[in-house]
Amino acid sequence: MDAKIKETILNPIFKGNPITVLVLGICSALAVTVTLKGALVMALSVIVVTGVSCLVLSLLRNTIPSRVRIIIQLVVVSMMVILVDQVLKSFEATYAIDRQLSVYIGLIITNCIVMGRIEAFALGNKPWPSFLDGLANGVGYGLILIIVAFFRELFGSGTLFGIQVMPAGYVPNNLIILPPAALILLGCIVWVQRGIQKDLQEK
Amino acid sequence: MNTNGNLYTIIYTSVIVVLVAALLAFVSQSLKAKQEANEKADIMSQMMTADGIGSKASFQEIGNAAVLEKYAGEISEAFLVNAKGEKTADIDLSDVWSPSLLKAQNNQIKKGELDAVEVPVFKFKNGTTVVPIYGAGLWGPVWGYIAFEADGKTMIGSYFDHESETAGLGARIKDDTAFQDEFTGEMADFTQGRIFEIVKGGAPKEGGKSVLDNKIDAITGATMTSQGLNEAINNWLAVYKAYLTNVKTEEE
Repeated sequence: MDAKIKETILNPIFKGNPITVLVLGICSALAVTVTLKGALVMALSVIVVTGVSCLVLSLLRNTIPSRVRIIIQLVVVSMMVILVDQVLKSFEATYAIDRQLSVYIGLIITNCIVMGRIEAFALGNKPWPSFLDGLANGVGYGLILIIVAFFRELFGSGTLFGIQVMPAGYVPNNLIILPPAALILLGCIVWVQRGIQKDLQEK
Repeated sequence: MNTNGNLYTIIYTSVIVVLVAALLAFVSQSLKAKQEANEKADIMSQMMTADGIGSKASFQEIGNAAVLEKYAGEISEAFLVNAKGEKTADIDLSDVWSPSLLKAQNNQIKKGELDAVEVPVFKFKNGTTVVPIYGAGLWGPVWGYIAFEADGKTMIGSYFDHESETAGLGARIKDDTAFQDEFTGEMADFTQGRIFEIVKGGAPKEGGKSVLDNKIDAITGATMTSQGLNEAINNWLAVYKAYLTNVKTEEE
């Protein structure tokens, strides 16, 4: 694997993480991280949407009229979002989660990560790196979602993936269930990351 | 090739849109059967949850096939009634009344076409009756099911669902079992204009416990959703009034 591809894959996971460094996709990160199951499904959906949208648009990049490129991007992204939503609704295992995530699956279309990566990367690069870039950004987003959801489900409901892990006497912390707690947790993650990665700190 | 010409732009956009539309239509058609099966099992488990036959989580665990089987074992009668309380048609016992059907009837109710409207009633073998309600929440429709004892006014329980209420606030009509449990033991008051009331600021209480009348607490931070649900319950129960009060006199 050459260094550039490696950089494309690894950068969004930590050094250029879409949530903690670029601060994109915050809205859904607060809304869907109450349970690990929801966060996992959301993460997978975003990975598929960004990956495939980047691939498709990179394939089309030389044919797209530049005046309407945003419209074409929206058409492709919304197609992917609808497909993901339809597939989730079709399986018994994911139907309930899809209902629980309700509008947030549909709102992936407004997730800045998707459009951001298409504009910044996919329209100027070959299909294969674009696909990897889309996937990696989705993974970077999903990783943060899962870390936040881990703490929120553990302390907010005393469970992990719906399985009781806290001792029977544990009183669930209601603050953790509410969206502000996700913001606080997110802040802590940013704090830790900036502690490790000194070049992100403002002077 | 000039990709910025007007003609090219128009043709290109049209072709992309048509292709995407065709693909989506194809996928939607091919997955429709599966989605409907999921929705049906979901509605059945919602009705049974309202009726206290089990919890929503437990139905989710056992899977669609088991839910259908359980429902078939519990349901005794399903039919449509008009606003005069007369039975007008039977509903197949394996069928449910989806929210999209409720929407059509809700439009009739809102327009005041009470002579024409026919609403579904589901009777279970344990003597209970489950009726749906439907209305507008803050962002989209809210609907649900209320289960009544054989007397036609004591509530056994409820289950509500919504399309796009705010997560953590309005969405609690679906997610918060404590809110749904508030209905248990309450009475619908068919003698007054307001049959049921979801009260902002708290329903009357005695010694910290809810008085079993026709009032329950609204959800804090979800005023519009609570009001919408309140209207939905009152509008729909007004249509069921004749039927549910008749049931009572039959018993006596």
